[in-house]
Amino acid sequence: MVKYDLDLLKKCANNLMFDMSNDQYNVLLKEFDVLTKQMEVLGEIDGVNDVEPMTFPYPVYTTYLREDVAETPLSKKEALRNAKDVEDGQIVLPKVVG
Amino acid sequence: MNFEAVIGIEIHVEMKTNSKSFSGGPVKFGQEPNTLVAPLDMAFPGTMPILNKQVVINAIRVSNALNMTIDHELWFDRKNYFYSDLPKGFQITQDKRPIGSNGSLTVKLSDGRLKTIEIERLHIEEDTCKQLHLDDITLVDYNRAGTPLIEIVSRPNIRSGEEAMKYVETIRQIVVFAGVSDGKMEEGSMRCDVNVSVRPFGSDKFGTKVEVKNLNSVANVRTAIDYEVERQTKLILSGGAVEQETRRFDEKTQTTIMMRKKTDAVDYKYFTEPNILPIRLSDEFIQNAIDTCPELASSKQERYTSNGLSDEEADQMLQNLLMADYLDECIKVNPKHTKLFWNWITGEATAFLNKKFQSFDKFKVTPDNLEKLINMVENGTLSMKMARQVFEVMCEENKDAEQIASDLGLKQDSNEDEIKKIVEATVDEFPQAVVDFKAGKDRAVGFIVGQIMKKTKGKVNPQIASKLVLEALKSR
Repeated sequence: MVKYDLDLLKKCANNLMFDMSNDQYNVLLKEFDVLTKQMEVLGEIDGVNDVEPMTFPYPVYTTYLREDVAETPLSKKEALRNAKDVEDGQIVLPKVVG
Repeated sequence: MNFEAVIGIEIHVEMKTNSKSFSGGPVKFGQEPNTLVAPLDMAFPGTMPILNKQVVINAIRVSNALNMTIDHELWFDRKNYFYSDLPKGFQITQDKRPIGSNGSLTVKLSDGRLKTIEIERLHIEEDTCKQLHLDDITLVDYNRAGTPLIEIVSRPNIRSGEEAMKYVETIRQIVVFAGVSDGKMEEGSMRCDVNVSVRPFGSDKFGTKVEVKNLNSVANVRTAIDYEVERQTKLILSGGAVEQETRRFDEKTQTTIMMRKKTDAVDYKYFTEPNILPIRLSDEFIQNAIDTCPELASSKQERYTSNGLSDEEADQMLQNLLMADYLDECIKVNPKHTKLFWNWITGEATAFLNKKFQSFDKFKVTPDNLEKLINMVENGTLSMKMARQVFEVMCEENKDAEQIASDLGLKQDSNEDEIKKIVEATVDEFPQAVVDFKAGKDRAVGFIVGQIMKKTKGKVNPQIASKLVLEALKSR
């Protein structure tokens, strides 16, 4: 199993392009410790490796479908609020295709 | 060595629903950028996908038209990739359990042969956003993000450009007539990717396939495939090898051009979408979706031919849904006049609308008024020439046909006694015509009728006039 430490958390945060204070990293590390220990407890259950990966914990179904009604969309201002750069109402990104 | 082509086609159809596949964001075309965006379409935290009922109904209708097995449970998967056209970081699609599977479509080829094309799957998914790549930046518009799509994947048992073209054309007709999509290939609401390879005749192994993109018309599908088959065949015959690559069709040169070499297949790390519970569809729901499907082109074709149109005439009508809808309204008024309605619709009406850049949903002439005009020609009140004059006015303002005829002073004289007097007078005027007729020159009849038309400014019923002229000449 991967060993979680402060360096790994900082590296992951860096990959996702954000950063936190050292206190926050320490809180997160403690949470990972708890989670890892819980996983170890689960791993001790007999035959756990024979269980197929599942998406839902037990068979659960619905019949609900949304009626085809358009809602009021976000205002253009709201939709573009997080964009660093906007041109002609479109979000500007660096070009990554040839 | 002789080669045969092995062709498979993937078609993406954009639906014309009111809202998106999994959000209430509106679906519209040609709007200002980033004005049709719901929070889910931009992957705002905390938003959850909820499937649109009409999307399911549409997928069932198309699956049924393609003779597919329809799954009674809907499961969705995430197709994961990192790119700016997809804010969530994954596309919601149906990888493991498509709603439709194992279908087929039979198309008629130009030599009359029927070809059945097998269809592997039809699944529901969502469109990406639109990106505009400029010199050094990319502009992103999320209006299209989440627009409902169905993808239809054929098996590779298409053997020629013509078969492929007919297949795409028929699917286009199905989605348009079922009310699922506007099917405009040139505007991207139906997109088509083609996989082409060649192999020696009789071989059961597949050759290296090339994917061709950017096929924005039914005709281009054929042209691109024919070109590609020839290119690959020549390449192999000259000792070369076909490379696995993606090419695009180039409209200008009518050829395919290499876009990129294909390396290993991308691993999209598909897994079941946990935010959508499996949805059970009842037999009633599926049956109802099928029963309420608008009439498809194949059924209209049968109906039109049973009402007296030829296959070609029916086909022409089915090129345009709005025109076919108009004919249907006319047929409701009088099915016996189907051919006559067809004549007016494909002739004068189309010419008028083309001139105005309008479509049949804007056509002002009501079917019962057109029926009135047809009756006036049938009972001899109007000549065809007069009817055309009346029709011209009807197109501008749907005034009553009889009223227009009377306003324009157009009425054909069908009173035999009246016409007889004119006939006798005219024959008296041209004694040479009698001599000619007696000498066996039948055109003397036409000559006299012509003179009568000239004299009466075409207001005499020509059938009656011809009959009476013949009688008059015989009796002299």
